[in-house]
Amino acid sequence: MKLYNFRYLIKEGFRNLKSNRTMSIASVAVLVSCLILTGAAMLFSLNIGQAMESIEGNNTITVYLKEGMPTLESVQVGEEIRKIDNIAECEFVSKDDALKSMMETLGDDGTVLEGLTGSENFLPDAYDISMKDLTKYDETIKEIKAIESVDHITDYSDIAKKLTDLDNLVGMVGFWVVLLLGVVSLFIIANTIRVTMYSRRMEISIMKSVGATNWFVRWPFIVEGIVIGLVAGILASVLLFVLYNSVMQVISGIAAFFTPVSVASLLLPYTLGFMLVGAAFGAVGGVISIGRYLRKGGSELVGL
Amino acid sequence: MIEFQNVSKTYANGTKALKNVNLKVEKGEFVFIVGSSGAGKSTFLKLIMGEEKASSGEVIVNGRKLSRLRNRDIPYLRRTMGIVFQDFRLIDSMTVYENVAFAMHVVGAPPREIRKRVPYILGLVGLQNKSKCLPAELSGGERQRVGLARALVNNPSMIIADEPTGNIDPALSFEIVDLLSEINRRGTTILMVTHEHNLVKHFHRRVVQIHGGEVVADTIRKTAGKTPAGLDDKGEDLSDETV
Repeated sequence: MKLYNFRYLIKEGFRNLKSNRTMSIASVAVLVSCLILTGAAMLFSLNIGQAMESIEGNNTITVYLKEGMPTLESVQVGEEIRKIDNIAECEFVSKDDALKSMMETLGDDGTVLEGLTGSENFLPDAYDISMKDLTKYDETIKEIKAIESVDHITDYSDIAKKLTDLDNLVGMVGFWVVLLLGVVSLFIIANTIRVTMYSRRMEISIMKSVGATNWFVRWPFIVEGIVIGLVAGILASVLLFVLYNSVMQVISGIAAFFTPVSVASLLLPYTLGFMLVGAAFGAVGGVISIGRYLRKGGSELVGL
Repeated sequence: MIEFQNVSKTYANGTKALKNVNLKVEKGEFVFIVGSSGAGKSTFLKLIMGEEKASSGEVIVNGRKLSRLRNRDIPYLRRTMGIVFQDFRLIDSMTVYENVAFAMHVVGAPPREIRKRVPYILGLVGLQNKSKCLPAELSGGERQRVGLARALVNNPSMIIADEPTGNIDPALSFEIVDLLSEINRRGTTILMVTHEHNLVKHFHRRVVQIHGGEVVADTIRKTAGKTPAGLDDKGEDLSDETV
């Protein structure tokens, strides 16, 4: 295709959009909501993933010993833990160290803990351990718990399971909602283009009578669909990230420990992805509607 | 140029539109196709344009057997013919110039050629001063001249005019056929379907009469310049349709 043909077809596509404004806006709106929901589900899943990683990723389990245990006995417990097959590392954290690191984490607020140093320290001695093989997590935990002087273990498996369940639920609900909305937007785009096509039916019949190829007839309508998709893609990603930012501000206000996935790294791939998906939807919508029309539409060539 | 060899056309609903038609139109001819409504004229045109396929027999256009034509070749067949419609089929939102240029754009002509060719063709049909008008601002005769310009602009080797004067003031009909004659004089084959007996009588050209799906009269062997004898007998048929 020559450049000037390309230009002409693009121009015609925009003319279609202009002449069919209301329906075009409606299709953009539906496609935007579809894309935002998809994006929201993806961002949610991404954040859950990140949270799980930070929990599992440092792979450290803290084993707390019973309070007021003499140091010698604590060391013996360490030996016993090291004897378990699946233990990769086992590091002793004295109650003083634990208090110090807690004060550090709290920063300025940490001074309130100063009165608790020394014999007032309420924290137990502990071991930070890590495992060689996480799949044997449950058995290993059981073995550690069997040691007499062990009080309790920070057990993340429960939280991890809850997060995974939530992620799966959101994933599943999201999938069906997005699928439904996807079908709806495709239908609306196809319909929008069909309306344009109907108002252009005489032009189409003239095009066919002077020997325009089917592709030449098709392209303006496909361009129309692609433009609808691109606009929807850009709009959706802008809206989604404005929304995401404000939601994340609220969340990090409530839960300080949670670090959301940053927007900056996602903006470009999301926008591009949305535009691509939008354009693909638009193109498919265009092909669907024009395909049907071309197959039966030619017969009005001679108006007798 | 156009040849029908034992062509029959039966539609899916059982209508026998054409029965064993044999006809040959040479390059540079001017042929009137006459016949009452439902006689098979439009089927005849549709077969030439490749819009319908013959049920039996062979239609040959520009030396190509249309039965062997693939669907994607049809646009290229159409580019060899300019089609003029009874209802003009102009795009109301486009100016005269744009209507004619449209036909070139959609076959992928380069813009520079369009800018050169459209004014030339508009001059040929006498509309050089109306190029910025919208169809609504033109008379019926002028509108049909735009239609004619559009049919001509891609330089086809034949013009197929489907009752081009049907929606025009009878007095102006002659103008249109004069124009067609002028185009024919420059070597373009003309096929014109009409109901108007006056025109056929006035312009002494070959006349093919279709009735009940068959060619019932063809003045091909008659000397040009004489009113076709066979037609006067059937005058009633024609005047029926003359408005």
